[in-house]
Amino acid sequence: MGTHLITLKTSWWAQFWEAFVEKLKGSFGNGNIGEEIRHGILQWKTEFTIGGKDFLLTDAVIVTWIAVFLFILLLIWLSAPKKSVPKGRQFFMESVVSLILSVCKSSGMNEKQAETVAPMVGTIGCFLIACNVSSLFKITPPAKNIAFPFALAFFTIFYVIGISIRFVGVKGFIGSLLDPTPVMFPFKIIDYIIKPMSLALRLFGNIFGSFILMEFLYLVIPLIVPGIFGLWFDLADGILQAVVFSYLTMSYIGEIVEGAEAHKEHAAEKAKAKAEMKAQKALEEKTIQETEAVAAK
Amino acid sequence: MNYLMTLQNAALQVAQFEIDPKGLAGLGAGLAIGLGACGAALGMGIAAGKALESAARQPELFGKLQTLLLTSIVFMESIAIYALVVSLLLIFTF
Repeated sequence: MGTHLITLKTSWWAQFWEAFVEKLKGSFGNGNIGEEIRHGILQWKTEFTIGGKDFLLTDAVIVTWIAVFLFILLLIWLSAPKKSVPKGRQFFMESVVSLILSVCKSSGMNEKQAETVAPMVGTIGCFLIACNVSSLFKITPPAKNIAFPFALAFFTIFYVIGISIRFVGVKGFIGSLLDPTPVMFPFKIIDYIIKPMSLALRLFGNIFGSFILMEFLYLVIPLIVPGIFGLWFDLADGILQAVVFSYLTMSYIGEIVEGAEAHKEHAAEKAKAKAEMKAQKALEEKTIQETEAVAAK
Repeated sequence: MNYLMTLQNAALQVAQFEIDPKGLAGLGAGLAIGLGACGAALGMGIAAGKALESAARQPELFGKLQTLLLTSIVFMESIAIYALVVSLLLIFTF
């Protein structure tokens, strides 16, 4: 495929350039695009047994480990020495943490609850950023495997329910389910099945779709265009989806906490209204009795 | 009676062609993402238009409006992503 033109008067650089241009021309839109994309989607996996149990190790797991390890090194570098007047890296980290806290508070939690939730939500966000950005270096992103987003969403919804039960108690949680009227109860139960599916499918769909588009571009125009498109599809889309995942987690926790408070308020108002009506009825009966006693005299 | 006979003949002629499931899957995939993207883009355009209108009316609320707009756009985007997932499913499993 292609012939090397060797002339007497050319330097090494000219020879290299000619061979490079020929190979480049050959690789534009060559090959069976469908077959290659299908091959790129399949995952690398291996099975091994430890003590009688079978384990499946896929490339998603290995990329997750590597990405998390490198991101931890980056975070250790970012959260370096602390001074009382922050500048540079410390300023960046402090602004990120205060952003998470302010979003928590605007979702409906108070100060102490926000400080409990913020580390977990920040961890989920950083974990997802590390995993999604790996497609920038042409390493398959872990979220391309359907199991990764579903496992993360499953775990997140259990975390949301657990932490809100710790905040408002089981009674408060059931109260938030009955919040405006008890008729909404089955819809809110279905909501707790739809929420993790929505979180998982949003993450999976974005990352998998971007991956397929970038594979297609690498096959068709391997020269400069994938770099430009990769800025949006690999980098910005990955960071945006991680931020959206964390924001929705905070929003769900805040929704439950607010619903519990609102239900408690409604219940207290109802009890007060009932007590007032009872007192009024007792007063009316007393006046009726008094008038009867006066009339009998 | 004559009309029924010609209808039967036409049906027999059409039934000789075999329908390739891959072809139908490809058609379904194209329709899925096309119509899904239509609805999502329309909704996002309406939401953005209203947000810009109210920002022009009360410029001091711009920060809150920006947050609300981005939140609602994320939800609408995910509907289009569901359609994308269905279309990818159709292409790669047939």
